Amino acid sequence: MEEALVTPEAEAMIGKEVARQTGVVYPKEAQRFAAAVGDLNPLYFDEETARAEGYRGVIAPPMFLPQVLQGVTPLDSLREDGVPLQGGSDIPLRAERLMAGGEEYEFLSPLYPGDTITAQTRIEDIKEKSGRSGRFVLITRETLYTNQDDVVVARGRFSIIAR
Amino acid sequence: MSENQLCFDDVSVGDALPETNAAPSELQIFFFSAASNNGHRIHYDLPYAKTEGLPNILVQGPLQSAILAKMLTDWVGPSGRLIRIAIQNRGNAFPNEKLTYGGVVVGKREEDDQLLVDCEIFERNESGAVLMPGTATVSLRRRSGS
Repeated sequence: MEEALVTPEAEAMIGKEVARQTGVVYPKEAQRFAAAVGDLNPLYFDEETARAEGYRGVIAPPMFLPQVLQGVTPLDSLREDGVPLQGGSDIPLRAERLMAGGEEYEFLSPLYPGDTITAQTRIEDIKEKSGRSGRFVLITRETLYTNQDDVVVARGRFSIIAR
Repeated sequence: MSENQLCFDDVSVGDALPETNAAPSELQIFFFSAASNNGHRIHYDLPYAKTEGLPNILVQGPLQSAILAKMLTDWVGPSGRLIRIAIQNRGNAFPNEKLTYGGVVVGKREEDDQLLVDCEIFERNESGAVLMPGTATVSLRRRSGS
């Protein structure tokens, strides 16, 4: 029988919190993100429109959320391909090549400039599967995003495939 | 609330969402890398991208999903809200390729005082390949007076 791709060490990580990050929603960063998407939604740029819709001021684009947790990347921490060294998998698997899977966000409360967001990530599941192109491991993480008032602003679920 | 604001009452199961197009240029892709602090060379360094067997630099997945989310927030207008979005990265998008964003309404429901509309959504390229399929939920207001 072939050796399982999911090591016992990896299996022990299921359900555990693996990361806790904090970041501030900087208004210019949020607007630069929106501008780079080509999304000049007045809710992100115009206080008056945002207030007229019941927000207490401009909001950040929902898809900006993961950017809030980005840290500062020293150049010598980058791999040959330009991705930070820690950008890979922190899970010990007998499968090294990582591929993007799916992502899901549930937005529960608006994201405001000035908010401090804490993201707690836990491993929801690590499972070996087999498909047309052979065996692979499906890793699912769940992230809970909370603001400075302990309000859960969003939930995220991310899957990656390792083969 | 503006006159042409989309309302819950205006939407029926089976409705197609208004399709939008985008064709991210090398310049936009570069700006998105900058705005998202993304140094991944496959998004701006063509000679490097070729060493990974790619024919061209790639449009970032998060840019594709943000444009897909924009299609939804433009559709629901300022009074609507994006409540949930789930997407899958299925295929590569290349610079200046015309991409189409759209979807279809698959459900309507009331939950916790919210009026919710469930949709299937997609991003596809000119040859019709779906690069990013997904599902989404938006909330809308009821038309005032109804």
